[in-house]
Amino acid sequence: MNCKKAGVLISASVDGELSLSEEREFLLHLSECTECRVEFEDAKKTKMIIKEKIIQFKAPEALIVSIMQLTNFNTKEHEESLLYE
Amino acid sequence: MDKPDPTRQTKTRTKKESLSREERQKQLEFQNEAVVHLNALYNYALHLTMNPSDAEDLVQETYLKAYRFFNSFERGTNCKAWLFKILKNNYINRFRKNSKEPGKVDYDLIKDFYHSIKDTRSDTSESESDYFHSLLHEEVYQALHSLPEEFREVIQLCDIEGFTYEEIANMVESPIGTVRSRLYRGRKLLRAQLEGYAKKYGFNNDNVQ
Repeated sequence: MNCKKAGVLISASVDGELSLSEEREFLLHLSECTECRVEFEDAKKTKMIIKEKIIQFKAPEALIVSIMQLTNFNTKEHEESLLYE
Repeated sequence: MDKPDPTRQTKTRTKKESLSREERQKQLEFQNEAVVHLNALYNYALHLTMNPSDAEDLVQETYLKAYRFFNSFERGTNCKAWLFKILKNNYINRFRKNSKEPGKVDYDLIKDFYHSIKDTRSDTSESESDYFHSLLHEEVYQALHSLPEEFREVIQLCDIEGFTYEEIANMVESPIGTVRSRLYRGRKLLRAQLEGYAKKYGFNNDNVQ
């Protein structure tokens, strides 16, 4: 495997999405190529950065309440329709 | 509507009880399987609509639909992926169909979100010489949002939500190979953006070793 081919595989490799044979070849190349190893480490870091730096917001209280009520409401409606059928 | 016939009372009661027990079971399962992903769905909706009230509507619609069709959810598969797919479809139907009326982006809101967060650069950059750690939340957000949507979407689904390529492929209705190459290309663009920010702070890419 050359650097060009390894470069294309870096993205999928940080996600653990390489096929077994790809992974074997890829790791072999990494063991022989410092440049690609650095690339690989940077790619892992970029993935981490996205995960850590993108803020996850909490859903507003009103939304949580309404979602919880949603299921309860359906049951009540269901019950009533049965009661008066 | 007539009051229930007292003579039918017992029959109706039993029927009602057995059915509502079933319904209660469904409710409980729905809460355990689906409602636990509420925050993730809300964030996904926020990223898609960039507007909190649209995001709330979208999440609400999604849960309404999900509850109604909960029987068709394949047990044992990823419920979060199932919900994301429903939300995405709702989003397309609501906001994309009518291209004349694009979702209003609430830039103030996004600014507020990030301004309410203390600058964390000072905490991390001292211990880490790495330029990545100098990046601010807002910058990473901006970099991500500067990408064309097809790239941003797969990065979000993969890196933030942790879906597999197969799950993402299903969500965006493209082959796995397409997801893979979009991630590859999207990340390249993203890296270029982030490095641009890093350079602004005097971190030079050449220093990274």
